[in-house]
Amino acid sequence: MKKKSSIFTSQKFIVLLVVIVLFGFFSIISQNFRQYSTIMSILDYSYYIVLMSIGVTFPLITGGVDLSIGTGLICYSLAGGYLITQKGMPVAVGLLVTILLGILIGLLNGVLVAIMDLPPFLTTLCTCMITRGLGSIFSKGFGISWPAAGADGGWFRSIFKITTAGGTKIPIGFLWMLIIVAIMAFVLNHTKMGRYTIAIGSNKEATRLSGVNVKFYHVMAYVISGFFAALAAVAYSAVFATVQPGTGAGFELEAIGGAIIGGVSATGGAGSVEGSLIGVFVICLLKTGLPYIGLQANWQQIITGLVLIGAVMVDIIKKKRAEVH
Amino acid sequence: MKKKVLASLLCVAMAATMVVGCGSSADTSADAPAADDAAADDAAADDAAADDAATDDAAATDDAAAGGDYHFEIIVKSYQSSYWQAAVKGVEQEAAKLGVTYNCTGPNAESDIADQVNMLNNAINVDGVDGIGLAACDQSACLDALQAAMDKGIPVVCFDSGIPDAPEGSVLSTVATDNYGAGATAAENLYAGLKDKIAAATAPVRIGEVNQEATSESIINRGLGFIDKFAELAKADGKTVAVIGNDKYVNDAKAETVAEAEADIIIEVAVPAQTTVELCATEASVIMNKADTIGMFGSNQVAAEGILTANENLNVLGTDPETSVLAAGFDAGSVIKGAITDGKMYGAVTQSPLAMGITTIDTLYAIASGQTVSDVPTQGYWYNADNMNDDSIAPNLYD
Repeated sequence: MKKKSSIFTSQKFIVLLVVIVLFGFFSIISQNFRQYSTIMSILDYSYYIVLMSIGVTFPLITGGVDLSIGTGLICYSLAGGYLITQKGMPVAVGLLVTILLGILIGLLNGVLVAIMDLPPFLTTLCTCMITRGLGSIFSKGFGISWPAAGADGGWFRSIFKITTAGGTKIPIGFLWMLIIVAIMAFVLNHTKMGRYTIAIGSNKEATRLSGVNVKFYHVMAYVISGFFAALAAVAYSAVFATVQPGTGAGFELEAIGGAIIGGVSATGGAGSVEGSLIGVFVICLLKTGLPYIGLQANWQQIITGLVLIGAVMVDIIKKKRAEVH
Repeated sequence: MKKKVLASLLCVAMAATMVVGCGSSADTSADAPAADDAAADDAAADDAAADDAATDDAAATDDAAAGGDYHFEIIVKSYQSSYWQAAVKGVEQEAAKLGVTYNCTGPNAESDIADQVNMLNNAINVDGVDGIGLAACDQSACLDALQAAMDKGIPVVCFDSGIPDAPEGSVLSTVATDNYGAGATAAENLYAGLKDKIAAATAPVRIGEVNQEATSESIINRGLGFIDKFAELAKADGKTVAVIGNDKYVNDAKAETVAEAEADIIIEVAVPAQTTVELCATEASVIMNKADTIGMFGSNQVAAEGILTANENLNVLGTDPETSVLAAGFDAGSVIKGAITDGKMYGAVTQSPLAMGITTIDTLYAIASGQTVSDVPTQGYWYNADNMNDDSIAPNLYD
């Protein structure tokens, strides 16, 4: 990697091009797609995946994975929503519980993986099942509807979308996403926390031998993932009406898929937060756009799957080339 | 050392399983003679079972003891929607009234078919169970278990969804909404709201239908019931109809249709890749974005909420056909009720889960007391802002 690849050949740039091309393609084919309301919907439905994706980038870079974020999201949202709607607690308390719970499950994942040395795939698959069950227990098995916009306690919904007096909707959530991505990109590239995360993914043993408290930083990667899954829970609750227990499985694949498309190495050691953001929009555009061009459901899944395979192949080819050089 | 501990633990576990297993098989053989006697089948088995139950500490509180202390196992499809909350409430009410005991279980999600089969098998092995109420997630996965229940002489009542291929004599009654009829009810009411607009239309108009999937009996029938009824009403008014979109619904619709280009009314059916609300919302957006769309139908709570979520950004729904798109929903829940109160949703069809729960216990009770029973269809009711507080409607509008 001596000749530092220019910005135009970097995966991020290529994926950004893909996003633009996809958007252009759908806009040309379907006139209903190129509307403000459609863009609003794409953004609305993307926030929770973006947040999960930012979080899961950290365990992915360590060479691990976090499969518990999807069902975790639903679990945290159910717990917080239950306290608000059934126990009459203030929304702020519900939000706090939602986030604390996410951090707690992240910590559990981190301890099991980094300190007890369990394999990340299996560990988080187990916590995925645990959170799925736990969510149903928290909500006594029933769906929870967080306070509606305009209702008492509905203020948190305007964190992500402001409606002006004239009725125009402003996707302010996207601004938050950009700010959060900027912060987390800084954390990943310019702080000990981030640099050690990358180092663990490249060569854990060497990192340990150089005197880094590997266990601590490894645990923190999962805590970050849990924390962002909880933020995603807030975004999900704010955008959608009802949170149903038993759902959420599969969300993590969209987030992980987005991160991989965005250039996070499937084997760890490399990746970026801004790449994950761009990658998620490939997934979101496919999800929203394919129905607009009249493709039926099953084809949407096949195409999304094929795009993911493509992204992993690019990653592998890059690795092989790097080895040759 | 560790291995030895583990091995001995496993041995203990195995031994325990054997003891438990033998225990239950002993029960089976005790019940079997009664069950095998085909003629006296129900009555004898139930008497035996009732005797067992009498020794249990059943919470028989009031007058009900007259009929005997029965115990029923109730298995719902899932706890995924508040719909089941109302059904369980009906079970609870009627059980208290009749003085019978019950135990209610259900898997996490409607797709957890294997979990539910396990629950059914466990219910069959419960000591002294007098009957099982089952809302099956899958039409074929429960067949073996139903055979086992019949072999043990335990009567089964299906509710919410029927099992057409159940072994002869295992399911004694099915308490379920006439889903096809309920879909038709939605079509009748939505058509009534749009009738003038359709009559006056000079260009083709579009009706959207969002179904969360194309695999379960209830959703398919609701979707088809809506399409067929809407087309029938349109034809009576001299309009032609085309059905487009999801292949399953297009092929199975019985309505008389014409090609899309020649139709006065286009019914477009969308089914998302997964049963999640954001995918339902995306599919709904696609149709609601089209300029010729005048009506929408979402065939269950998730699909109806998907339409409402799509409307968050589109803002096209209302109750005046001249200025807005009319949307009909299905089921209730606080979100749909709120949308109807606010004039966002035109109306919805509610099933009667409360009545379904009550009827299930009644039917099980009747069987346990030796009466002959038959299938009980329950109705779907149309509700809108005007009648949602009526006594006949309100109890079925669960949150």
